Amino acid sequence: MSDESAHTPASTRPDLVKVTRGQRIVDHLKREWQIYVMLLPTIVWFLVFLYKPMYGLQIAFKDYSIFRGVAGSPWVGWEHFQTLFTNDQFVRAVWNTIKISALNLLFGFPAPIILALMFNEILHASFKKTAQTIVYLPHFISSVIIAGIVITAFSPTAGIVNTIIGWFGLDPIYFLTKPEWFRPIFVGTGIWQEAGFGSIVFLAAIAGVSPTLYESAVVDGANRWQMMWKITIPSIMPTILIMLIIRIGNIMEVSFELVILLYQPATYSTADVVNTWVYRQGLQSGQYDLAAAAGLFNAVVAFVLVMTANTLSRRYSRTSLW
Amino acid sequence: MAGVKLESIFKRYGAVEVVHGIDLNVDEKEFVVLVGPSGCGKSTTLRMIAGLEEISDGQVTIDNRVVNRVAPKDRDVAMVFQNYALYPHLNVADNIAFGLRIRKESKEKIQKSIDEVGAILGLTEYLERRPADLSGGQRQRVAMGRAIVRDPKVFLFDEPLSNLDAKLRTQMRAEIKRLHKRLGATSIYVTHDQVEAMTLADRIVVMNDGNIEQVGTPMELFLNPANTFVASFLGAPPMNMVKAVLAASDNAPVAEFAGQRIPLPSLDALSGKAGKEVIVGIRPEYMRPEVENPTVNIELELVETLGSEALLHATLAGEPFVIKAETQGNAAHLNAVKGFNIAPEKIRIFDAATGRAFAGQDKPAA
Repeated sequence: MSDESAHTPASTRPDLVKVTRGQRIVDHLKREWQIYVMLLPTIVWFLVFLYKPMYGLQIAFKDYSIFRGVAGSPWVGWEHFQTLFTNDQFVRAVWNTIKISALNLLFGFPAPIILALMFNEILHASFKKTAQTIVYLPHFISSVIIAGIVITAFSPTAGIVNTIIGWFGLDPIYFLTKPEWFRPIFVGTGIWQEAGFGSIVFLAAIAGVSPTLYESAVVDGANRWQMMWKITIPSIMPTILIMLIIRIGNIMEVSFELVILLYQPATYSTADVVNTWVYRQGLQSGQYDLAAAAGLFNAVVAFVLVMTANTLSRRYSRTSLW
Repeated sequence: MAGVKLESIFKRYGAVEVVHGIDLNVDEKEFVVLVGPSGCGKSTTLRMIAGLEEISDGQVTIDNRVVNRVAPKDRDVAMVFQNYALYPHLNVADNIAFGLRIRKESKEKIQKSIDEVGAILGLTEYLERRPADLSGGQRQRVAMGRAIVRDPKVFLFDEPLSNLDAKLRTQMRAEIKRLHKRLGATSIYVTHDQVEAMTLADRIVVMNDGNIEQVGTPMELFLNPANTFVASFLGAPPMNMVKAVLAASDNAPVAEFAGQRIPLPSLDALSGKAGKEVIVGIRPEYMRPEVENPTVNIELELVETLGSEALLHATLAGEPFVIKAETQGNAAHLNAVKGFNIAPEKIRIFDAATGRAFAGQDKPAA
């Protein structure tokens, strides 16, 4: 090829074969069709379970009647939202959700990280495997069983907790009927159930840290504590931030089943969260439009939170979900 | 600075022994290169010196102190790793200062050290950058800076240039050499690249299969390899090896192979050994290609032109054989080469049974 032809733009050469964008897409699909076949079930799942229900969101702005249907119900604008924010129980549920989520974030989020760091320091292989299996187990137990265990453990008559309290000559405490005890018990139960399983992600991140970083630090004089603080934690920080962003996105989604299973009218003041309020209003009282408005509010708050967290993380740590 | 002494060092992983009792003395301020093929135990030996691997048997002494049971941090060594081992979350300055901060040095001393090392290695303008924003060569310099800043008794390098491209490797090789001249530090350097070993080392230690094959200056090893392994490992292209039988001609030894004869140097060790099977070692550089009347005929297959030189790929006695020739601006005439001549004293002779060189060839024959 001469230098002259090498610098001639291909677009000005009618003798060269031209491939259109459409042809490129067809060629790509022919070449990679197996990947798209594998992707198809996920796309269908998203469409059916996440996008199609969005059509029903409009009832948050309608006076919905199951007899008139979604399309036939009249528009009422922001009326349901005004009702929500003037409803003391809903406002209380929002605050409860925020408080429980904040406690979860404060204690529940670091728990799997700490657990993973501790597992990483265990040198005895069989002890490590046994300990890991034990802490992973609660994740695989149904929430109903978990709630049963908690109710039994905190029972004022036969519960282990009150038995221990009794050893010190103290009166039994009716933990699950006292509003002030609900949040600690709920958050603690969540940690017990999920911290072990949640630690897997961080253990995987730790496994990805190059061993030579530690060897280099050993030669430089670092001890295990310093290596954990100066190498392990900073190295898994991108994973921690990604998990934090996801967690923040779910901040309004307090574990619905466990609240339903553990709360009772006596503890509504601290235990009733947006999701349980929506459940009671929507399904039990038949106010689907009001429940839809509350659900939409939840989703919008979560969306704003996750966007903010992602932007901040990208700006300050170069780590982000997208 | 200090010397390093290895005495009867063994390394075993369970029943598998990977280092078989090696002995080595590294003098103060010396640059010693451990070279050998992958899996020969050179990195394991270096890691035992650093304290990153336990010594199964034997004794390591650094600066006249036995360090077998001394933690790596207390051996006063600094190590540069193949993959740099830079902390990705720290910038260049913090990476360099890591070891000093761990040792709780004063802020003033740390800053002074960063500035000095940054200037020595040309990193001053990159001090605020993170490793991900640096080129391979710059990362390697940071890794060296982290070692230099510690001012250790011994520097250990574990294949530090392996991840760099050929051009950068040549540059960094020269930089390491300059740095060693400037700092005068005792250095032990591991590589599988014989060019790195030849260019950097005061002394080369050739290892194979957990043993030391030979220790010597680069020229000693190049000119007088102790055995066929060293002969074929050092040199690019490596030494040609031809199986032959010893004979005598007019009282001078010759080697016979495939119906041809080649005069050998007169060595006492060869006298009375007529009929013995030997391996004749001929460096590609030492032959004079001939178009007419060569001493040894070859079957030329291919001429590879490198510019000022060319490699003549041929076969001799059914074995591959390479001659390095000067092109003098035109390689075409080399296609007519029929064979070569060589001065007998340039030929190395090895015992075919043991692979060891015959005695009496220990004077550099340059």
